[in-house]
Amino acid sequence: MKPKVLLGKVGLWSATAVASAAVMLCIAPTTARALNVPTEVTELGKNTYKKYCSPCHGEEGKGDGPLARSMLPKPRDFTRGAYKFRTTPSGSLPTDEDIFRTISYGVPNSTMIPWDILTEEQRLSVIPVLKSFSEAFEVRKPDAPVDVGLEVRPTERTIAEGKKIYEEKLECWKCHGVEGRGDGPSAGEQEDDFGFPIKPFDFTTGKFKGGNSSRDVYLRFTTGLNGTPMPSFAKELSDEQRWYLTHYVMSLVKPEDKEKK
Amino acid sequence: MKKLGLGLCLTTMMVFTSVAMAAEQPQKKQSPPDLYEGTPDWYRAVYKDNVGLREGSGPFKDYFKPQMLDMYWQPNRHYEPMKNLDHSIFIEKERRDLCVTCHEEATPGVVRDWRSSGHKNPKSTPYLSARTAEIEKRTGRVLNEVHCFDCHADTQKKQIRMPTGEVCGECHRPQFDDFLREREMGRPNHIQSQEANTIVPWYAEAARRGYLYGMHGCDLCHSGAEKCDVCHTRHKFSAAEGRQPEACITCHMGPDHPDAESYGESKHGVIYHKEEDHYDFSRPLSEVRPGKDYRTPTCQFCHMYEKHGKYIHNPVMKGIWRMGTIPPKNLEYTSGLKDYPYGIKIIGEKIDIYSEENVAKRSYWLEVCAKCHSDRFADTYLKSLDQFMFQAHKLADEAQKIVEDLIADGYLYPSAADRDPYPLSDGIEKQLSPAFLGEPVYNAFKTLKGKFPVVGPILGVYGMFIQQQDNPSAIENEYNRLWFWYKLQGYKGTAHMQQDVSWWWGQAPMMMEMTRIQAEASRLRREGRIEKISVK
Repeated sequence: MKPKVLLGKVGLWSATAVASAAVMLCIAPTTARALNVPTEVTELGKNTYKKYCSPCHGEEGKGDGPLARSMLPKPRDFTRGAYKFRTTPSGSLPTDEDIFRTISYGVPNSTMIPWDILTEEQRLSVIPVLKSFSEAFEVRKPDAPVDVGLEVRPTERTIAEGKKIYEEKLECWKCHGVEGRGDGPSAGEQEDDFGFPIKPFDFTTGKFKGGNSSRDVYLRFTTGLNGTPMPSFAKELSDEQRWYLTHYVMSLVKPEDKEKK
Repeated sequence: MKKLGLGLCLTTMMVFTSVAMAAEQPQKKQSPPDLYEGTPDWYRAVYKDNVGLREGSGPFKDYFKPQMLDMYWQPNRHYEPMKNLDHSIFIEKERRDLCVTCHEEATPGVVRDWRSSGHKNPKSTPYLSARTAEIEKRTGRVLNEVHCFDCHADTQKKQIRMPTGEVCGECHRPQFDDFLREREMGRPNHIQSQEANTIVPWYAEAARRGYLYGMHGCDLCHSGAEKCDVCHTRHKFSAAEGRQPEACITCHMGPDHPDAESYGESKHGVIYHKEEDHYDFSRPLSEVRPGKDYRTPTCQFCHMYEKHGKYIHNPVMKGIWRMGTIPPKNLEYTSGLKDYPYGIKIIGEKIDIYSEENVAKRSYWLEVCAKCHSDRFADTYLKSLDQFMFQAHKLADEAQKIVEDLIADGYLYPSAADRDPYPLSDGIEKQLSPAFLGEPVYNAFKTLKGKFPVVGPILGVYGMFIQQQDNPSAIENEYNRLWFWYKLQGYKGTAHMQQDVSWWWGQAPMMMEMTRIQAEASRLRREGRIEKISVK
C-alpha cells in the first residue's frame, strides 16, 4: 500500500471515528447523563408544578385539575405511584430518570406535551413533587432498571416470529386488533386501574407513547404499563422473543394513515 | 466553476434589484384594522374598551353585568383569558409546535378543521396561491402557513386572545374594509348589531329584573358585530362556506325575519336544495356564472351585489326597506307615525322609497335580477313588493291609531300612571340626553318618569322583550305582533317570493290581529264606559 493511500485510509477512519463519536453524543439519550434531581421538594418545584402541571394533574396530584374533566385520556393520578413508562420491572416504581423522560418527551396521543419548554432545572424540580403525592415512594424504592442487553437485528424472520407471537402465542390482536389499529374485539372493554376506559394502542399511528425507538418499545413489553391492562411479558417471552414482537409491532406503522389522522 | 460564479453574480444582482424595487414602492401606510373606526370616544368607551366581565356594554352598561358567555360573543369588550392554565410561556417562546401537539388531543376537531383550511395550506391551489400572494404583498409577510399562534397569541400582553374581525383584518383587509362600510348604511346592519342589542333599554331592564339568561338568544345573533366566524365558521374559515345560504340562516329565520323559511321554500330555494351538489361555491361571487355555477340565486348572490357588476363583502348596501321596521315617508299617516321618529336622534328617519339613492339602489337590484329575468318582470315584481309594503304600513298605521285613540280617550286599563313605567326609565333619564333623544322625548322621561305609553316602531317593541306589571297591556302587544311579526313576515314572504309566507304568515295574520285589536279596543271602551256610569 502506497503511503499516500494509507494516509488517506487513516484519515477516512479517523474522520469516521470522530463523526461516530459526535453522532453517539447527539443521539445518546438524555437519561444517560447523571441527572441532578433534588432530593427534597423545593420552592421551584412547587411553583413549577402549580403553574404548569396542576391545571391537569390537580393541586394534590390526583389527576383532577380544572382542565381534566373534558380530557381523554385522563391526566395521570400520581397518588398510587403507578407510572406507565418505566425502565423498571412490572409493578415497580419508576426511576427519577423515567419520570424525567416522560416530562421531557411528553406522551404522544395525549395532551401531555413535551415539556422541554421548561428549563431542565424546572423539569427536575417537579420530580420530588410528583413523588410526594404517593406514599409508595416513602416505603419502597424503585427496583433496578431491567437489562435491555443487545438488540436483535430486525429481519424478515424476526418480524415473522413476532407476528406469530402477536397472533397466536399472546393473542395481542384481541385488544390491539389484527392489523394493530387498537380495534380488537376486547378493545372496548378495557379499563385502567383508576376505572377509566382505556384504548389499546393503535400501532399504525407510529406515535409510541413511551418513545419511538425499538429499545423503548422493547421496554414496554418487558416492564408492562403499570396501572393499565397492558402486562409485562418478561416471564412469558424470552428476551429474543420480545425483540421479535418489537420488530413486528413496529412493522405495523402506516405513515400514510398518520397523515390522515 | 465559471458558470457557478456567473450564476451567483446574476442571483445577487436579481436580489439587489428586487430589494431596490421593493424600496421604491413603499407600502401604503394604513391604520390598523379597527371595527369601531370613526365612532366617537363615548361609543368606543362603552362598546370596545375591554372591561372583562365587570360591566355591561352600551349606554346602560352600569345597570347590568354581562353573562360570562358574552366574552366569546363580544371579545373586544368582555374577553378574559383563561385562568386555569397560563399560556404565556408558550407565547414568549413562540412554541407553535406545542399548540398543535396539545390541542390535537385536547380539541382534535379544531385542529382537523384547521388542517383542512386555507390557513394551513395557503398556497395549495392556484386560486388560493394568488390570493395569498396579494396578502403577502400587502402585509410584507411570507405566508406558508397561518398558524394558531398568528391569530390567538397576543404577543404584547403574552396572553391568549379571542380573535375579532380586527385580527382577521390584518391580512383580509379588503374584506374588513368592506364590512366596515356597513356603518354608512346605519342600523339595521351586522357591524352595529351588538350596539343594537344593548342600547335598547329593555336589555338592561330585563337583566336587572333577573332575566339576563333569557336573552341568550339575543346575544347569539347580535354577536355578529365583531366576529367573522359568524359566517365563516371556525376553524376552517372557508370563503365557500360563507357563500352558502346556510351561512345566514341560523340568525335570519323566525317570526321577525323568516328569511330562511321564505327563501328556502321559494322556487329559488327549492331549486337550490334540489340541485345543491351542482352549485359551485368555490367561485367568488363576482365570477359566478348564473345558470351554470348557480341555477338560482343565493342570499349572498343578491344581497352582496353592490352595483355595476361589483360585489362587496357586506350584504346591506342595497337595502331599501331595510328590515321592514322603518315606516316609509311616502304615506299619509293618521296615527302618531306621522311624527316618526319623534325627534329621537338615535333612530333613523323615515325611508323615502323614491329618493334618488333608493331609485339607484333599485336599479342595482334589477342588474342582479336581469341575469335571469326580464327587466320588466323584475321591476314589476319589486314594485309589487313596494305596494305590499305600503299596504302593510297603512294597516299598521290604522292599528296604531286605534291603540293611540284608546289611550288618548283614557280607556287604557290599567292606565300608564297605574302600571310599571317604561323599561329603565330611570336609566334613560340619567344616561341619555336631549342630544340622543331630542328635547320632547327626553323631557317626557324627565317629567313623567316613564309613566306614559309608548306605542309602535321602534321603542314600542319593548313589549316583545320584557313584561312588567301591566306593561305592556294585551292590546299593545297585539299591535306589536301586527307590525313587528306579521308585517315583517309578509315582507319577507313577498320579497323572497314565497307565497305561503306572504299570505298565511303575513297578510292573513295581520288582518286577524287587527280583529283582535278592534275587539280589545271595543271591550276596553265598553268596560270604561260602564265603569264611569257605575261610579256616577
